[in-house]
Amino acid sequence: MPATLVDPEKILKDLRKLWLDLGRENEVAGGVLRACGMTLVVATDNAADMDELRHLLGVLMHNHPARAIVLKLDGKAGLNATVFSQCWMPFGKHQQICAEGVEISAGFSELTHVAQLLLPLIVSDLPAVLWCRGPRIFSDRAFDPLLPLVQKIIVDSATVPDPYAAVAAVRDLRQQGRLVADLSWTKLTGLRELIASLFDEGTASNISSVRIFYGGDAPTVSALYLSDWMRRALPDAEVTLEQRGEGTRSIRSIVLVGDCEAILTRPDKATMEVHCGGRTRRSSMVLVSEETLMSEELSILGPDPVFDRILA
Amino acid sequence: MLKPVASNNPFADPLRFDRRVPECAIVIFGANGDLTKRKLLPALYRLAYERRLPDSFAIVGNSRTAMTDDAFREKMHESVKQFLEDSPFDEDLWSSFSRNIYYVAGDLNDAKLYADLKTKLDELNRPNVLYYLSTQPSYYGPVVEAIGAAGMGRSTEKGWHRVVIEKPFGHDLDSARALNARVHSVFPEEAVFRIDHYLGKETVQNIVAFRFGNGIFEPLWNRRYVNHVQITAAESIGVEGRGAYYQEAGALRDMIQNHLLQVMATVAMEPPAAFEPDSMRDERAKLLRSVKIMKPEEVGFHSVAGQYRGFREEQGVDPNSQTNTFAAATFFVDNWRWAGVPFYIRSGKKLPKRTTDIAIQFNSAPHTLFMSEDGRPPRPNLLILRIQPEEGISLRFLSKYPGAGMRLRPVSMDFNYGSSFGERSPSAYETLLMDVMVGDATLYTRQDMVEASWKAVTPILESWTERTFDFPNYDPGTWGPAESDAMLARNGHKWRNG
Repeated sequence: MPATLVDPEKILKDLRKLWLDLGRENEVAGGVLRACGMTLVVATDNAADMDELRHLLGVLMHNHPARAIVLKLDGKAGLNATVFSQCWMPFGKHQQICAEGVEISAGFSELTHVAQLLLPLIVSDLPAVLWCRGPRIFSDRAFDPLLPLVQKIIVDSATVPDPYAAVAAVRDLRQQGRLVADLSWTKLTGLRELIASLFDEGTASNISSVRIFYGGDAPTVSALYLSDWMRRALPDAEVTLEQRGEGTRSIRSIVLVGDCEAILTRPDKATMEVHCGGRTRRSSMVLVSEETLMSEELSILGPDPVFDRILA
Repeated sequence: MLKPVASNNPFADPLRFDRRVPECAIVIFGANGDLTKRKLLPALYRLAYERRLPDSFAIVGNSRTAMTDDAFREKMHESVKQFLEDSPFDEDLWSSFSRNIYYVAGDLNDAKLYADLKTKLDELNRPNVLYYLSTQPSYYGPVVEAIGAAGMGRSTEKGWHRVVIEKPFGHDLDSARALNARVHSVFPEEAVFRIDHYLGKETVQNIVAFRFGNGIFEPLWNRRYVNHVQITAAESIGVEGRGAYYQEAGALRDMIQNHLLQVMATVAMEPPAAFEPDSMRDERAKLLRSVKIMKPEEVGFHSVAGQYRGFREEQGVDPNSQTNTFAAATFFVDNWRWAGVPFYIRSGKKLPKRTTDIAIQFNSAPHTLFMSEDGRPPRPNLLILRIQPEEGISLRFLSKYPGAGMRLRPVSMDFNYGSSFGERSPSAYETLLMDVMVGDATLYTRQDMVEASWKAVTPILESWTERTFDFPNYDPGTWGPAESDAMLARNGHKWRNG
């Protein structure tokens, strides 16, 4: 279908009809509560994960109700659009809350047309966020027409083969003046909070050096961010990134040398251990899901000074 | 969430890190009571659910009933399951959370209790200790003094010792001052957290955001544009087994002196210089000190007491009780911003529905171009801040009715919390417990605020104590006695019974 045949007016009309139908279907319960706090544009080039994405959006909407616009970039030419709703019954309530969505299929070559289509579909006067699932944004300029439409761009560099190039690309986006978030940074929140708590408790005082050990053939993007964060926080300390062990890329351990030598290790996926002065403290550090990471990012729609300092 | 506490930690990231509760123990006096079961434990469990409490967080419950730790845990398990609001219950989480729940039985008047508590706290070895007085108010002074006598009150180099005191803080101005003196003999003011759970409600906090975060309302927030303000806290239920307590308190003491005057202070205070505990509390206190104190001869004109039919038959209630189950009052604020603007406050039991809201009625347009459909001047704009049950904000204004001619109808522009921020706000007790543990007193009342609000109601209390009312004077399911409507009608106003 040629791009011009997908009419934003028609999509908006379909959305209005969707709400009327939802209202009628739930008339006995007093209709539904229409929820919208932002526009969330999600671009995915993996058609296979559409079910997972729909489920994920359904969960995200509970805390970040939005008009979700899913761009299914499957490489095939031709634009197609359908509307949908995500409804849920809050615990203990009797009225459903619903958020609306639009699913648009397009080829990569049509992203310029998609940008024109998106403009009237973005909810006026509310924040708009672009979430690029997958690594393609790091290598493909096709996304460029979408970037000026939104206030914040969320990417995930975890699967980019070259971590240094990924950080450079994120830095480049930031230097263009765009608010950008990388889920590889978001994943570090729990670990960073643990390190901050060591400082509060006095376990990590007068730190003179920090050694971050990573496994695999190169540091992860998260490891690069962590070392930059340490350097910014401790300008007088020596911060090094060192390889230790083969296998998958990951942060293996962190050593903070100060009044006592604090060693942070991860004995299993759900635990972090801190060894210091002969004592061991265990903290739970569960692997965070994509929805948790996204929820954290969607709760920050303005500047993120700590991450910005790393990208500066 | 409130602004995070300032930190000199080079790793701080206030946007992303939750405020962290330091390693601490909370001692709850009156742990067998309703408040603990319905509010405190569910709130603490919910904070644990959100991983905002340290793993070592300990709870020590106390009451007179002899009980083992396990029996107390089981009791709390049932309570949390029953009273947890808007949130599912997770058995696995409960099993790790409850490991740090302990129980020490003992009489609040017995020095041995405090020795036993000291032994338990020494054994637990948490650097910070929070005492929560959820007892009958008459025990507040003795318990605090006993904590002091046992050497458990003062903060040490290891950590802080704080006390949370539930309302009512005194039963009049003199008793509030006397209680303050007793509390201060053990805890300095910065360690005293007087809880008013209304201030912990998200929607009450949102009044501050609404007023001072937006540029369009504050210019209208004064006597030039505001005609009057109505604050209503209505309950559809009666005293529900609390007859004995309630007949000593009454609606004026139970609701207006504390919750509703604090709400009024939040609505009417001047903008603080910063969103910091002392700045906020200074402005609230200043407003409360500006409330015009009624002269004895004005009390009958500016206040109304009511009692619903059937109250005297409630269990534990004196058959000749003079307790007010409904109270309404007109307050004025003696400052430049509010001079002459009436603030009508009412609260009652057995009213038609459960609702708490603040209605700000603006002046009518200076020149009336249009008439309502009934031929009268159109109703003025109304801004309603809904505290419960449907939290949100509505603005009523006039709109042209579609079609020929110029017929105007009032319409409402609504903001509903659920439709913009998803499904759940923290309960007031979650917010306030978190605040006290991180040392943020913004939402707690200070001694001068308590005394100023007692001063504001003292003439009414004194006058009502001297009078014999012809109670009961309103039927359940109505909006209180007719005198309440008359009080507003004298100023040409009318309660919004929406």
